[in-house]
Amino acid sequence: MQAETSKISDNELLKAIARGDEGALADCYDRYRLILFSLILRILHDRHEAEDVLQEVFLQVWRRARDFDESRGRAFTWLVTIARSRALDRLRASGSRARLATEAEQEPRESMGDAAEDAVRSEAGVIVRRALAELPEEQRRTLFMAYFEGLTQTEIAGRLGDPLGTVKTRMRSGLIKLRELLRDQRS
Amino acid sequence: MSHTDYQELLPGYAIDALDPTDVQVLEAHLATCGECSVELNDLRDATSLLAHGATAAAPGDHVRAQVLAKVRAEGAPSHPAQVVQMSQRAKTGWPNLLRLAAAIAFVALLAGVIVLWRERQRDRDLMARQQEALALLNSSAATMIQLTGTQTAPGARATLVFDKQSGRAVLMTEGLPTPSADKAYEVWFIPKGRSPMPGKVFSVDSSGHAMISDYMPPEALQGAVIAITVEPKSGSAAPTGAIYLASPSS
Repeated sequence: MQAETSKISDNELLKAIARGDEGALADCYDRYRLILFSLILRILHDRHEAEDVLQEVFLQVWRRARDFDESRGRAFTWLVTIARSRALDRLRASGSRARLATEAEQEPRESMGDAAEDAVRSEAGVIVRRALAELPEEQRRTLFMAYFEGLTQTEIAGRLGDPLGTVKTRMRSGLIKLRELLRDQRS
Repeated sequence: MSHTDYQELLPGYAIDALDPTDVQVLEAHLATCGECSVELNDLRDATSLLAHGATAAAPGDHVRAQVLAKVRAEGAPSHPAQVVQMSQRAKTGWPNLLRLAAAIAFVALLAGVIVLWRERQRDRDLMARQQEALALLNSSAATMIQLTGTQTAPGARATLVFDKQSGRAVLMTEGLPTPSADKAYEVWFIPKGRSPMPGKVFSVDSSGHAMISDYMPPEALQGAVIAITVEPKSGSAAPTGAIYLASPSS
């Protein structure tokens, strides 16, 4: 059952997992543990909880890999979406969203595109991070509040004291820029 | 609304940040518009890039071993062959009727919850669970278990629907009394001959309704008693309080 999976594409890797190939799951873990764990930790701010959720995520990948449909998006998106929704579920279940959000606001602003950070990232990760750093501060902040805190547009508008229309526009502009970046990478 | 108006909602939807009224409007449109669905997939790919915005961190080395041990213990993901098994079982006389009755009761419960939701207008989580429940109902591998109130809560009842392949489950309760401020309800899965395994901790609204999505532990997928007890609000590792609801032991 086990194939040489270290060099195959993400799509092939998920197909191998769907066939019950444990080696493929191990490769998937090695390939994605850093980005998924970083994401979960950013949402939960608790290493122990984040490690627990990371385990849940890979169990779900194991059980649901055959649901992945490459015509509907990238494997990266599929994996990251599972991790984000599991982490946000955990955040909501813990009922401490308000407290965590306050803590997050008190953290120093993230230094985007830092050299030490880049060193541990994939090439694609470095490119994306630089693109994020180039977004206007308000756009990035709005996107991060929605993405990492699971807030709605209305909640963000309330939190920042900005008009709802402004929040919607920022979110749209920011995501459209990221979409262009993705198109550039593909071409 | 014009097509452009819908398109403008897409980025907010891709990042799950739309308000519930906008979600409803857009989902109705997405069901009929291929162009928007394609654009949505693109925007979801773009949204997922935001994950790179998190500060890099590595999980402990023990996590890899734990993941692989769990996967090994669970075995290969089950295949759709089970679906056939389930529908064959549904083809016997009375149980089939009972199943239908249970399905009707379940839909009625769901309708009740939807009405409640409309009254409140703004509960995104509930809406997500509703969609999950509907998706589960449509799955041919869905199994339904009825829970009845014990002497402690004779007016309570609940339905658990789960997918035997994925373990995804939705539980809906009705008529559960509101627990005191420091207490909550907890779900237990009790596979035959094993100790109870904890599920979600939840509370109910003023009419005793709750709708919870959870994953069944793999050990419970092939038959287990489901019970609901009252526990301290933070949840317990093993049941300590009175049983309010239980499924029949098989």
